[in-house]
Amino acid sequence: MVEALRVENVVKSFGNLMAVKGVSFTLESNQILGLLGPNGSGKSTLMKTMVGVITPDAGAITVQGVNVASNPIEVKRIVGFVPESPRLYEFLSGSEYLDFVATVHGLGPDAKRERIPEFLKAFDLEGRENELIHGYSQGMKQKLAIIAGILHRPRILILDEPLNALDPRSARIVKDLIHKLRDDGVPTVFSTHVLEIADAVCDRIIIMYNGTTLADGTVEELRSKAHKEGSSLEEVFLTLTGTSDTREVVEELTR
Amino acid sequence: MNLRAVYSLAVVLTRSQVRGTQRSKLLARIFGEPRVILPVDLALLLGLGTIGYVIISSIGNELQGLLIPILPKALAGIPSAIMFMAILFGVLYEISQPIQSLSTDLVNWLPITPTEYVAGSTISESYIYSFVLCLLLGAALGPSLAFGMGWIWLGAAALSVLALFVGAFVVEILDATTNRISSSFYRKSGRSGIIFRLIATVALLVFIQLLFSGYIIGYLLQSIIQAALFAWFVPVVWPSLAVLSSSQGNTLNFLLFSSSSVVFGVVLFALAAWFRGRFWVPVPVSIKLSTGTYRPTKFRLPLVGAAETALIQKDLRSLTRRREMARFLAIPFVLAISMGISILPLSTGSTSQTPGFIFVTALLYTLPVAIFVGALSMTSIGQEGYAVWHIYIAPIKPSQIFRAKVLFAACLGLIFSVALLTIFSFLMSTVAANYWTILLIGVLVVMEASTLGIYYAARFPDFREMVRSRYVGVWGSLLGLATALGASLLTIMPAAVSLVLYGELTPVSTIATVAVGILVVVAAAKLAVRQITGLFKNIRI
Repeated sequence: MVEALRVENVVKSFGNLMAVKGVSFTLESNQILGLLGPNGSGKSTLMKTMVGVITPDAGAITVQGVNVASNPIEVKRIVGFVPESPRLYEFLSGSEYLDFVATVHGLGPDAKRERIPEFLKAFDLEGRENELIHGYSQGMKQKLAIIAGILHRPRILILDEPLNALDPRSARIVKDLIHKLRDDGVPTVFSTHVLEIADAVCDRIIIMYNGTTLADGTVEELRSKAHKEGSSLEEVFLTLTGTSDTREVVEELTR
Repeated sequence: MNLRAVYSLAVVLTRSQVRGTQRSKLLARIFGEPRVILPVDLALLLGLGTIGYVIISSIGNELQGLLIPILPKALAGIPSAIMFMAILFGVLYEISQPIQSLSTDLVNWLPITPTEYVAGSTISESYIYSFVLCLLLGAALGPSLAFGMGWIWLGAAALSVLALFVGAFVVEILDATTNRISSSFYRKSGRSGIIFRLIATVALLVFIQLLFSGYIIGYLLQSIIQAALFAWFVPVVWPSLAVLSSSQGNTLNFLLFSSSSVVFGVVLFALAAWFRGRFWVPVPVSIKLSTGTYRPTKFRLPLVGAAETALIQKDLRSLTRRREMARFLAIPFVLAISMGISILPLSTGSTSQTPGFIFVTALLYTLPVAIFVGALSMTSIGQEGYAVWHIYIAPIKPSQIFRAKVLFAACLGLIFSVALLTIFSFLMSTVAANYWTILLIGVLVVMEASTLGIYYAARFPDFREMVRSRYVGVWGSLLGLATALGASLLTIMPAAVSLVLYGELTPVSTIATVAVGILVVVAAAKLAVRQITGLFKNIRI
């Protein structure tokens, strides 16, 4: 299989805080990779280094064979990225926003005419596209951000909590879309806190903790590593990250 | 009413407003603590009072004789002035808030009644503006004590506090009603609603800015008392009339106007609570711009690519649709009017045809042009706000970002400079006679200020979305403005020397002026592109 993403010994610090501590992995073009980890484990920072919006202090990243450090513009052209809780240009209407994003990604009028209405319809935004984004619900804004991330037909998707605030139908569309793109050779790196979603969507999971890779493999491989065969991914996750002290916390809170 | 809840809310709102508007972390920490404001207010009041008393006691009888009849009027003016200021700044605060912060008010989901909210909010607003109240009362305290008008001052102080609350109640009513009215208005009016809001906001900002010019302040202070006497039936002037009656020894009128003021305050409080209760949760404004189906944009500016055109179009929409950006559109009007006030009286004198006057005119013309273009370009990157991630992930080169941002500021600057010059050429024959020379300087200044501005915008960007966001760091704005004005002066210098020495613009001086302009633009452009490249390597939000 073709290697779509290579992350080699990536290190990133913010002042005294070391957010990513030498993470390495590769992703093949027929894979959906789930990045799991508690808040502050370095998932978002790592994803931003893959897109080239954060320069790592050390290490190298190549996307579809293109080095992110030496050719960031080319990487941005081939990557589709949706950040966590994306802030949009709220003074634009939905269609103006998508037109803007499509134009900066180099789409011509014909491609825009073909794709934008199609996506608006698929995500139930048809009829609302002429309204200012300011009046949209959080879910509608998330849908727009996802459309903006895939509109230019990227060759790899990097999605940070993409299903946040989505209604069940749209979430299903995104999940099916990710699977379909994977089958067409477009891999996805996908972060989520909802372990059921990771279990259902991802072919492979990396658990991050304190900026390092704690485990890497299929759900079955992770169960075996945690000695939790037959358990839910949640059990596996809590065991591997050493955060399974939930019962004591609840008892403390309800005392 | 739960007084503990009112107090807590007032403290939280005060902290929120002070910390949200104060950029200096130290000042925000000091004044963000409401307990600190009261001692500072008292120190200001007593300090000013003491200084005033010492000064008044040391001046001669003649000067004292002049001040004595003015003092009662000044004391009577304080309640009206403070009420007016509370309303003005309250409204200004509301329109400077980024739209995103409105619907996240914690009062929408905490168990607080409308009455408690209005009480807490008005206490907070009055507390924040108490600094100005103490400034005015402190200035009047010394003379009042020295001239034996201590009791009148005391009455004026009490009525001024009441007036401050009345102003805060009015802001609450305006806030609640405009929230609901604007929701319905925008839903029906769409694009024209945005244009109307833009014009209204710009007009209000121009009005506020001009209000603080020396001419108008003097005129207003003189008019307040005359207006109050004339409009005695208008409740907002009752506190001032009560003070005036007290200074004239008319106890009946004093009691009548002061008790009516209290009743008016109570009625406004009840009204504000009712409006808050009625329009409790801000309704998200849904503005439909058109009804047609989507049609892709084909428009493309000459000499630049589609991406640059899209960026410019987006920035133009940001400028005209975001209410917190309207202040930038108010700048040219304020500057043009201020320039008119300062230059027009000179243009009729005998010196108006001299080379020196032409130089002064050109200098006064480049000043507002440089300020306007500098303000637009210096804020052009920071105004992206938290949505700047789009620029980070877009496959666009730093040079494309630079071109788009420069063109945006320069185009608007050119429109302003041509319009300003054309208007003044109709009003002043000297300007008309030297139109093309001054315009050439104007074009050069526009290009310099826009390129230099982008450098500072990328060097000191401020992406925070808060009340009265600057979009550029304090040092960035100061250095940027100083550099833009310095470059303007440098550009104008060869032409000025030629005018002073030869009485006309020589070809050599014209070439020198153009050469200086081009040099500054090229150097600033190189620096700006380098700075943008560095900025967009690491996302800062």
